[in-house]
Amino acid sequence: MSTALRVLGVSFLNARPLVEPLRSDPPLGESGAPLFEVGEALPSACAAALAAGDCDVALVPVATLLDNPQWEVVPDVAIACRGAVQTVVVVAQRPLAALSRIHLDGASRSSALLLRVLLASQGLTPELVVAPHGEGASRVRADEGALVIGDAAFGLTGRFPHVVDLGAQWFHDTGMPMVFALWAARPGALQPEHTRALQQAKLRGRTRIEAYAADYAQARRARGELALPEADYARYLRHAIRYDLDAWEREGLAEYLTRARAVLGAAAEPEDDDVVHVHFADLGYAPLRRRSSGRALSLSQTLDKARAGERLELAEGLLLYDEADLLELGAAADARRAALHPDGVVTYIIDRNVNYTNVCTARCKFCNFYVPPSGKAHDQGAYVLSRETLTQKFRETEALGGIQILLQGGLNPALRLSWYEDLFRWTKTNFRLALHALSPTEIIHLAHLEQLDIREVLLRLRAAGMDSLPGGGAELLHDEIRNRISPFKNTTDEWLEVMRQAHAIGMRTTCTMVFGFQERGDHILTHLDRLRALQDESLAREGGGAFTAFITWPFQAEGTRLKLRDDTSAWRYLRIQALARLYLDNVPNLQVSWPTLGPEVGEVALRFGANDFGSVMIEENVVSQAGAHFMLTAADIEHHIRQAGFVPARRTMRYERLA
Amino acid sequence: MTPTRARLAEIETKLDDGTPLSFDDGVWLYRTPDLCTLGALANRVRERKHGERTYFNVNFHINATNVCHADCKFCSFARLQPGMPQAYTMSLDDIRQKLVERRGQHVTEIHIVNGLHPELPWSYFKDTLRVLKAERPEIHLKAYTAVEIHDFARRYDMTYEQVLRELIDAGLGSMPGGGAEIFAERARRKLCRDKATAEQWLEVHRTAHRLGLRSNCTMLYGTVETLEERVDHMLRLRALQAETGGFQTFIPLSYHPEGNDLGKLPAPTGVDDLRTYAVARLMLDNIEHIKAYWVMLGVKTAQIALGFGADDIDGTVQEEKVYHMAGAETPQVLGRFELVRLIREAGRHAVERDTLYRVLWEDDGAPLPEIRVGASVPYSSGATPRGHLPLAGAEAQP
Ligand code: SF4
Ligand code: SF4
Repeated sequence: MSTALRVLGVSFLNARPLVEPLRSDPPLGESGAPLFEVGEALPSACAAALAAGDCDVALVPVATLLDNPQWEVVPDVAIACRGAVQTVVVVAQRPLAALSRIHLDGASRSSALLLRVLLASQGLTPELVVAPHGEGASRVRADEGALVIGDAAFGLTGRFPHVVDLGAQWFHDTGMPMVFALWAARPGALQPEHTRALQQAKLRGRTRIEAYAADYAQARRARGELALPEADYARYLRHAIRYDLDAWEREGLAEYLTRARAVLGAAAEPEDDDVVHVHFADLGYAPLRRRSSGRALSLSQTLDKARAGERLELAEGLLLYDEADLLELGAAADARRAALHPDGVVTYIIDRNVNYTNVCTARCKFCNFYVPPSGKAHDQGAYVLSRETLTQKFRETEALGGIQILLQGGLNPALRLSWYEDLFRWTKTNFRLALHALSPTEIIHLAHLEQLDIREVLLRLRAAGMDSLPGGGAELLHDEIRNRISPFKNTTDEWLEVMRQAHAIGMRTTCTMVFGFQERGDHILTHLDRLRALQDESLAREGGGAFTAFITWPFQAEGTRLKLRDDTSAWRYLRIQALARLYLDNVPNLQVSWPTLGPEVGEVALRFGANDFGSVMIEENVVSQAGAHFMLTAADIEHHIRQAGFVPARRTMRYERLA
Repeated sequence: MTPTRARLAEIETKLDDGTPLSFDDGVWLYRTPDLCTLGALANRVRERKHGERTYFNVNFHINATNVCHADCKFCSFARLQPGMPQAYTMSLDDIRQKLVERRGQHVTEIHIVNGLHPELPWSYFKDTLRVLKAERPEIHLKAYTAVEIHDFARRYDMTYEQVLRELIDAGLGSMPGGGAEIFAERARRKLCRDKATAEQWLEVHRTAHRLGLRSNCTMLYGTVETLEERVDHMLRLRALQAETGGFQTFIPLSYHPEGNDLGKLPAPTGVDDLRTYAVARLMLDNIEHIKAYWVMLGVKTAQIALGFGADDIDGTVQEEKVYHMAGAETPQVLGRFELVRLIREAGRHAVERDTLYRVLWEDDGAPLPEIRVGASVPYSSGATPRGHLPLAGAEAQP
């Protein structure tokens, strides 16, 4: 069963940290047999071989994913750059705009495609002609440039008056990293052990960069070729090239694929309008164990335990998810709610959801709100709210007794940290509104954009007026699901890290879970478990912040590109919410999601563990565009709270009651 | 044991012994804040009677006229006179057309309810049934509430029995349960003083049962009535049922405030709906079925009601446009598979029935065809103005 996968790497210097460790230190499978059999080719040949079935795994130029969306990509490994790359350059006697012809390199169609994408964005149309690999530079004339790639590009910098580094140019145009190559595999080929071995090879390779640089320089000299000092090669591998595929690289990847598809004029776009498909391989997350501590679980004992407020183990949570009756869960959750909030008060807040921009690079498949920064949807209503619009919305909010703005938006590369700082300062100067602003997804994006730590970004935003962080962008915190529904967005760990940092600087945040993505019970329990573990950590910190509340709701599929059908019924919602009340023993408040379920179910949910009715106003485009349309006044909300047998009270984000 | 637990235990014992619950039990249950425990009690009774079975049927509604001389405060169409802008009356041919346009479609029941028209001849109501029978003899006609029967008897000077016999001859199969509203005189006087009284409503059903007809019964809640009056209403139905055994199904109908004289009242709400289903299931031990009318409740609440005592979720309603008159936002018809899916998602077992609860189809768990991927079903019904005329509307004359 364990025949080695045939792997094709690339012979370029920048691929060595990914490929060499597979040779020097061949990863072995569980059975002790080697996992891979490694060969080498030029990048375009790699993709062709994978497409033809001549290998199982290959380091492929990213544009080949457009024609092969079924390929499985190894997560977290890439050849990419954030700015100048040095090895994909146009050399010429004149500026790019003055060239009438550019000679391409026959070895790489993907670099040529990147060039075309960049030319297209500047409206330039020089003639493009293909030259044999390595010969382009010799053809440079007065108004003819050449695209030089790979190792041949080293050392050209000083020889031409005009050198356009395409990595730098891309970064300049888009504000995003460029991803050149990824490990891709024929569907089904990669087992989790292969995926992990390729990821680990990267980690090992990165520690040997100096050795690869030295080998490379020596080999060139031995062949009588010109070689740069070893330290230059090492610097290139360490600083110009990046081997991780972080959220920001994924944004750049999505953007590049979108633009590349437009340049290729792909007539037949996928019917679901999803121009970008990247399918990441799963890591084989271990399914949760059915029993813990070696003893059999009994449903009634577990329910008793839950009702008494004892901490549930993962396996116990899963048992409840699988087997507990709706009303048993509800009664236990109601008892927990009563124990945590014995005064019978149910709170709500008057605030307003404002989505400041709908431009977003992340292209989550479940989102019908965003407009990509480029591509054919460019003029389909992309917006950034003006100060005038914001003034109006904020004024209205204040006039209605609102005390807070829930401010969230897309990942818009045009909006820098200073834009947010100005906005927050302006808000605080002109309005008496708290800012519950920016989900972890946006914070991660900003950190990348500004090349700052998460903590630094949070501190600066807080200094500018941000009060707390909403828990959006969590969806389902399990990468098996995220890979499927939002491959370009932050991972589970990235999301949790932002919350960890926010809590560490004393900030309050909320947390959320969206279900209905065809997840299993163990995905849901993993999500809850990771929130609970982080909350334990945060509560243990002196003076730190923590999650104030948890909110869950069913995915609203209407109008999104995610073609799936799952149980998003009110029945399941109530079960999951009740389960969350029982499992998240350290998160004080549970908010119902009436905007997605309607006020009637929201009211019923107050008897299934929740103690908060959320917000009066709804203007959350991300949800409302997907089919939920409810409006409630404060009087309506209070009516519903009373109907459920509680006393209504207004609150702040920190769940402090207002008189 | 706390007093609450003791009371609950007492009620549980009665339920286990098959002792009917008392008036006080009903009021106490209504007032218990512990919604899930109340639901669980009702669910035990429901499961004892029907297991996981959840019934639906495939029907459509005809409201041949919305003209009505009565003046019910909760009804958006009270006081409509012939010739008023929103008033309509279908011709017999229009009525036949309702079936012609459904040729080849699976329909097992037509539900016919009208306003109390002051001028139509007696023959119109019999002919309504005849033209439908002539077109599709196999379809069951569930027609005319007790309020209408009472009005026919008065206007055409006949006894209830004569009216019913003639209608049976014309094709009447059973009677819907509308028009009961709330029996208590105090509330009834405020709501609908000029239509059949509680005694008259009950007498019509008594007569119908004696003639071999089955019928349904309803309760309108969420207007001016007290919880005690709701329980009283249920007990009066239980008493008649003990006498005749002719009721098949009890259908609680919640009041929606839009477009009528009672508009200032707050709408009934999810918790009140579920409580009412549960209390009804517990009080009405001698009525087989409790129906969660999804068109009125919204599918979400209706689905949850399947855990609170309801075992029937009404028809797949085909005449969608009637339902979103007067502000109901969501025009969808729940297709058969959507309905089955909803029932499955509640962990129940869907059964298609005919009007008399004979099983026509049972869910075998086979994968359901996708009808509309990503489409959602109504979140909440919004408002359906209703009196005994559940679907009256300003539907344009065809
Ligand atoms: S869900 Fe958020 S991050 Fe994803 S595409 Fe929509 S706006 Fe962007
Ligand atoms: S409820 Fe019936 S009887 Fe009363 S006004 Fe409306 S249609 Fe007429």
